[in-house]
Amino acid sequence: MEPIWFKEVLADEIIKNDDIINEMQSIVTDIVSGHIDITRIVENMAGVLTHKDSENREKGMRFFTNLLKKIPQDFLTVTQINFISKFYIDRLKDNHRVIPAVLDGYLTIVGMKHFNISLCGEYFSVLFREIACQSQLRQDRLNIYLTMQITMDKDMEYMKSLGPDFVFGLISSMDGERDPRNLLFLFNFLPKFLANIPLGHLVDEMFEVISCYYPIDFHPSPDDPAAVSRDDLALALCPCLCGVQEFGEQCLVLLIEKLDSSLRVAKLDSLRLLAESCKKFKPETYIPFLKALWSSLYREISHKTDEELKLAAHEALSALIANMAASYNTDQSFENFVKGIIISMQTSLAESTTVAQFVETSRVLLSTANSSKESCFIVTKTMIPAIISYYEFKTSAKLQVASLEFLGDLYDLAKCWDVVGDIDKQANEIIPLCLTAVSEPTKEHQMAGFKALIRTIDVLKPDLVLPFVEILIHIVQHSDDHDILLVSVETTNAIARKYPELIMDLVVKGKCNIEEMVDNKSILQKRLNLLSNLASIDDFTRVIVEEMLKIITVDDKNAYNVVKALNGSISNTSLYTEEKVTQIESDHGLIDSILTWLLKEIKSGSKESLVHGYTLISNTMCSLPSEKQKAVLERHSSKIMEKCQNEAVYYPLLECLYRSLHQNVYDSSYLHILNLSLKIAINNDNEFIKTRACCLVAHFLNKAEFGQTFELLYESLKSYLSSCSKDENICLSLIQLFGWIAKALILRGSDLFMFWLQKILITLSNPECCQQGAEAIRLIVSDQPDCLNARHHCRTSLLYRQRIFQSFANLSEKFDPISETKETYLLCWAYVLEKAPKSVLNNEVGKILPLVVDSLDSDNKDLLVVMIDVLIYFVQAKNILVAQSFQTILPRLVKLSEYVKSMDVRIKSLQCLHEIANSYKTALLLPYKTDLLFDLAPSLDDKKRLVRNMAVRARTRWYLVGAPGEEKDE
Amino acid sequence: MKVADNVNPNVYEKGSVREVTKSDLDEELNDDFDQREIFDIIRNISDPEHPLTLEELRVVEESNVIIDNKNNLVHVYFTPTIPHCSMATLIGLSIRVQLLRALPSRFKVTVEVTEGTHVSEHAVNKQLADKERIAAALENNNLVQIINQCVRSV
Repeated sequence: MEPIWFKEVLADEIIKNDDIINEMQSIVTDIVSGHIDITRIVENMAGVLTHKDSENREKGMRFFTNLLKKIPQDFLTVTQINFISKFYIDRLKDNHRVIPAVLDGYLTIVGMKHFNISLCGEYFSVLFREIACQSQLRQDRLNIYLTMQITMDKDMEYMKSLGPDFVFGLISSMDGERDPRNLLFLFNFLPKFLANIPLGHLVDEMFEVISCYYPIDFHPSPDDPAAVSRDDLALALCPCLCGVQEFGEQCLVLLIEKLDSSLRVAKLDSLRLLAESCKKFKPETYIPFLKALWSSLYREISHKTDEELKLAAHEALSALIANMAASYNTDQSFENFVKGIIISMQTSLAESTTVAQFVETSRVLLSTANSSKESCFIVTKTMIPAIISYYEFKTSAKLQVASLEFLGDLYDLAKCWDVVGDIDKQANEIIPLCLTAVSEPTKEHQMAGFKALIRTIDVLKPDLVLPFVEILIHIVQHSDDHDILLVSVETTNAIARKYPELIMDLVVKGKCNIEEMVDNKSILQKRLNLLSNLASIDDFTRVIVEEMLKIITVDDKNAYNVVKALNGSISNTSLYTEEKVTQIESDHGLIDSILTWLLKEIKSGSKESLVHGYTLISNTMCSLPSEKQKAVLERHSSKIMEKCQNEAVYYPLLECLYRSLHQNVYDSSYLHILNLSLKIAINNDNEFIKTRACCLVAHFLNKAEFGQTFELLYESLKSYLSSCSKDENICLSLIQLFGWIAKALILRGSDLFMFWLQKILITLSNPECCQQGAEAIRLIVSDQPDCLNARHHCRTSLLYRQRIFQSFANLSEKFDPISETKETYLLCWAYVLEKAPKSVLNNEVGKILPLVVDSLDSDNKDLLVVMIDVLIYFVQAKNILVAQSFQTILPRLVKLSEYVKSMDVRIKSLQCLHEIANSYKTALLLPYKTDLLFDLAPSLDDKKRLVRNMAVRARTRWYLVGAPGEEKDE
Repeated sequence: MKVADNVNPNVYEKGSVREVTKSDLDEELNDDFDQREIFDIIRNISDPEHPLTLEELRVVEESNVIIDNKNNLVHVYFTPTIPHCSMATLIGLSIRVQLLRALPSRFKVTVEVTEGTHVSEHAVNKQLADKERIAAALENNNLVQIINQCVRSV
């Protein structure tokens, strides 16, 4: 039997049977497959579409609209669409019940592929005439807006040709829109509309309709799951208000009015609008308003407490200046505006009595200068001389230092905007001021002067180099302050890069001539530090390094100082690049000279001086490419190896050569060296040599290539260890070695470390060597300087501490410590917890907290410090489990606040009590308040001031718990 | 909103944080209370009218703190920003309350207006010295709220 839509009874069926809608898919299938033409269906629907009862006409239209929605967008032909469109436009005049279905249907028609855009002209004109948009429901209004958007997307030119009628239609449609979702849609759609469709005489009306929402005052209902927020709306409204140039004047009047309101949101919105508008409006727009704008901006910028407002004002000012700068060549107002800013800022600079005020004001000037090249030119040209005279006029040291920093900032901006050439005269004045500053006796002035000099080094004239050098060399030789020494060396370096010849004559061959050695060791050391720093500059490398190496090889009196200085400078990788080190090594044979010196000194020299030598060699080695490393090894290893076999004293030499090799440098001698290292690591008595040996074993294991090479090494290691006797004496050395092995393995990401970790954990049940086991755990988790890091070409796996934490937690679950070793066991936990990333701990509070609470009862200082730290972390995260144990925790912390043996423990426990009061809800704290205030009183009279300070903080905080005036988000 | 007595007070530089010396870190040594320590306790009390601390307004200064460790005496003089400041008593009370909470009970604390800096100096001093009146003031919830807001930032 033929389905019902093939017959004329379809109309009656639609009226009678609401479920007919479920047949839609079959109808569409029939249409698409060509069984029935759409015109025939429409004919069959005639009865319902023209029914005299509006309720039934609504049913008919809804059915038709649904049908159109289901049909593929590209199926209907132009003629068919024309026909349907005409029908729909006609329906707009129908009863209000029918309208929603018509609007929805036309939206579908507009979206069809073969839709002829010229049809929509009629649609809109009927629509605007017949329908009051705002009396429709929310979705229907949105459908109208969507129709406009789609037609505009399809053919902007045609929409333009519709002229003011269309604009007026849109204005009257959206006038009075209140739904936040629709508004958000409109605000997002309008900028495109404004940018394309000319408004004609309707500018005022359009602005009126948009601006009535400004500033947005809207609070979403709290139980709306997908609420539109106020900020979303405000952000979207902004570009609408400044969508076209024609809005300019009205927009600015509005903006200034709201800027002066007392509402904070209104101010913030206005500042953002100002910044946004600068992207659209022409500079001329702002000219009449500049005075009013500046006075409002200035008020917000000088706001005392509201940082967000201040920042927004700064951004608005920058945007305004950047916009205005375009008119620099055509109009005087921009220059006057910037000058006005400068004048008012100069007044407040002159009035400022504190650094905070000075910095505040200078920030405005920096914002101004940073906004455009033109403003930068005006500001720097005026302000540099002004600040220089300010410096001489003000007596406060802090303000002088601040003004030097400000000068540096100004110069940096001038450099950044490339206007230094234009303010030559002013910039040149900075350097003499730096000279005045560094001639002052105080450290602050000198530091600030040198720092400013480094920033403005480009304008340093050769005639001023000498006075600076005089002061620098004096400081370098006679000051004992670390900071000022560092800055002086840095300054000398900067000058040397600018005037190499002058510095060469004055410093290298003059005042700090390496050949004229002084007897005072401290002065000599500082000179050498300076020289070794300068040697990083190409012009100086040859002269200085050659001289230094001569001293190392010939003169043993001062050789140690030279090695120390070289080591200090070369380990600074930002000063000495890898290429530079390689160049020094190949040109001057650095390693050979140091090795010769070390061989000579190794039996008589102090450990400290030798260590500098070892580090220097290893640091040089790690900068060399693999080929060069191999060459160095070939030259020296066999000789040193031989010496090591006989005397372990020579071992560190071997170690420093092999420590920093690339992963691909490998030869068969490794196994031999590994066995030697193991022997020394286990049997040697010298702690230093033993540690070096462990370190080298770890490096070998870590770097060995995956696969056969590694397996060979690992097997050889295991067989060596199993062959050595289980002697009591070597037990402690073995545990240390296990620690190193485990660390090396976990860093290369190998699971084999579990085996060694387990071995270490076993020692924890033995009271005699548990201490050593704890040390091994500490070694695994802590960073070792100059060992197992990327600089020495080791593999380092990310998150390895997290892995250790997890493995340790798993292993310790099976572990039941006996009472004698319980404390050491907790100490191991402390080491692991201390280094584990704190975020990992959050998931394991239930496991860790009992350990922490247990530890609070112990008497081990290190353990207590770490565990209280972990506890403080949990408290800050407001963990509720902690609050559940307050009954135990609080008395223990109070007891620890009088822990006699260590002030650190006292301070930490008081800090923890302070944090507890800060973090938890009043209801949880109040039961303990009275007791705690009483218990904290003795700490106020502690013998150490630092403890008392913390006690004051904790006790005054607890006083506020639950008291009026306490501010807390409950 | 009530306009502040002194709308535009002079603002001064904040002092640096006290440096930790070697003797501070020595477990064995006893550190006595000194001027600076008492000053540190009260310098960050905020002014009831401005978002500034008493130190920034120079209401309290280190040199105006007198301490006698042997006899357990602490004497603090404070200087209102203007001679007819109506907040003088409140500021004095805040200082007193803060010291009461933060100093060991062995000290006898006296808080007074610096001589010649306030029109009703004697009346204020008398009020601040009267234990009964202070105790009564601390029973007043509104007053406690204001004081707590002042000493909160310490």
